[in-house]
Amino acid sequence: MPEKNKFKLRKSWDTAILALLFVVWVLASMTTDNFLSSINVSQIFSNSSEIMIMGFAMIFLIIAGEIDLSIASILALSSAMLGYSYAHGAPIWLAIIIAMAVGTACGFINGFLVTKLGLGSLAVTIGALALYRGIANGILGTNTINEFPEAATSFGFDTIGTTFIPQTLPVIIIFGIFFGLLLHNTPFGRRTLAIGQSPEAARFAGVNVVRHKIIIFTFTGFMSGVAGIIYTFRFSTAQADNGVGLELLVISACLLGGVSIFGGVGTMWGVVAGVMLASSVESWLTLREINAQWRTIVTGILLLISVAAPVLVDKWKRAKAASANKE
Amino acid sequence: MASLFKRRTLGRESSLGVILIFAVAVTGFINPRFVTGDGTRDLLSATAIVALLAIGIAPIMIMRHIDLSIASTVGFSAWLVADTCAKNPSFTWVQCFLVGGALGIVIGILNGLLVAGLRLPSLVVTLGTLYIVRGAVYVVSNSVDYNAQEMPKSLLKIGQTAFFGLMPVPFFLALVLMVIVAWFLKYTKAGRDCYAIGSNPPAADLVGLKVFRRTFIAYIFSGFIAGIAGVFYLMRFAQVDSTAFYGQELAVVAAAVIGGIGLLGGAGTAVGVVIGALLVQTIQGALAALGVDAFWKAAINGLLLIVAIYADRVLARRSEKALLAQRIKERV
Repeated sequence: MPEKNKFKLRKSWDTAILALLFVVWVLASMTTDNFLSSINVSQIFSNSSEIMIMGFAMIFLIIAGEIDLSIASILALSSAMLGYSYAHGAPIWLAIIIAMAVGTACGFINGFLVTKLGLGSLAVTIGALALYRGIANGILGTNTINEFPEAATSFGFDTIGTTFIPQTLPVIIIFGIFFGLLLHNTPFGRRTLAIGQSPEAARFAGVNVVRHKIIIFTFTGFMSGVAGIIYTFRFSTAQADNGVGLELLVISACLLGGVSIFGGVGTMWGVVAGVMLASSVESWLTLREINAQWRTIVTGILLLISVAAPVLVDKWKRAKAASANKE
Repeated sequence: MASLFKRRTLGRESSLGVILIFAVAVTGFINPRFVTGDGTRDLLSATAIVALLAIGIAPIMIMRHIDLSIASTVGFSAWLVADTCAKNPSFTWVQCFLVGGALGIVIGILNGLLVAGLRLPSLVVTLGTLYIVRGAVYVVSNSVDYNAQEMPKSLLKIGQTAFFGLMPVPFFLALVLMVIVAWFLKYTKAGRDCYAIGSNPPAADLVGLKVFRRTFIAYIFSGFIAGIAGVFYLMRFAQVDSTAFYGQELAVVAAAVIGGIGLLGGAGTAVGVVIGALLVQTIQGALAALGVDAFWKAAINGLLLIVAIYADRVLARRSEKALLAQRIKERV
């Protein structure tokens, strides 16, 4: 019975987020001239590329009851390696493979530390956050690399033909479909949910929890590496402070999308809606020419709302149920 | 059981002390300036802020929570104090501490209400307030910076004073706070409650400990200390902009963890935390003395933190095993 209630609550949360997204779009297009213009919508999609890509993997981690705060640092390290190896004569395809491999390796290291050594993922990935960003810093220093092949940078900021669809969008959609199916339609996804609900029970039911978590951490690293490549091409720069603080945006987008910070609950649709909501608000603020400095505050507030709202809704429902029982 | 607890904590502090002496000796051997009076004073005044903050978050971390917003609070406090002093030239160091402390308490109340009142996960909440407070500095400061000439002379003088030419006043104050917090944690009921809450939060609730009150006050304390640390920042650097102390919360958490406060709560002492802060700073100084590029600083901080967490885990497992063995022996 409680299981069913929980499911219902989440479902209504997903719809609430979609409704909120709709409200933001209506308000934004009323208060600005060109919020819904094709250029701006294209911009919204393009600006959320990295967050979306990392969110696809992060949702698995949060559902499994873990977290990875080092993803933005992995993004920076992969971007630094991409720039460094390209600047040192590697062909671009090799540089891209190196960047992906570095991301995957970082993710695997995180997974190893958390599962095999049994360290708390929060604490360890705070350490890893400093470590990976620090290595990127050590590799590039204050250097910036912004010479990349034409084809690569045009993938970053051009659209397909004469349409307004960013070239990165198909890549994101393919990843989205893949991870969406993985979460909701495969044993792997169901095992992830089971681990989040109760790691002990999952273990007794025959799930190899350690291996499962290592796989999730590893593909989170891989996706952060991919995000690093897209980030590099989108801004045509590889530098050590690429994507500082993005991990918070990814986490708050996931929580906004109804993924429970306590694990075991979450949908891919929710995350997509959460990311869209965050980047729509961002775009709205930009169009209203609200000072960029306010955005740091808005990020923090979004994060607080996304973690407080489900708890408050839950409390309210319980109070209502209690008073209904009394009668 | 009591003796085992004592052995574990004492063992932790003395082994840290040995590592610290070893690190100082090696660095002094390579770079003799490191162990002179000037070198010691530099090390101690560089450690003062981190040590102070680490003592401030010690009760929170013992209760199995965390406060990541402290570095933003330090930045906000430093900027706000400099701003008030620039607008009120008659202010002395007293008002500086009042302004900084008051701001810290306000931020502490916000964190405390969210974590203790709504029972939200402290990590996410304080990540959120980290961003909100830092964003507030950006907005309020409007890119205005302050330098030594806008600050009270009495304040800067305190920052430059050192007892016996070795012990800077800020570090001395951190030591005083350390003694107070160590006494509080060890000998008061509220202090013992912190360990009980951190060891087993649901059980603490069930036996009727005042979990809300302890957690709430601990957040106010940590905010207050961070506000005070903002004034220390001004004393040390005599200039401030909106990015002051950015990202330093990691160094503080690292110092606390290295100093023996487990991330799973229920363990650690104020003395250990100060030794941890000294060790982190010594290693940074040692790397600089060895000629390691400053760019690698963050990477080394991160690596240190991971190693400390691992060591903490190994030690915890060992004492768990020892406890179990003792229990079996008693039963036989």
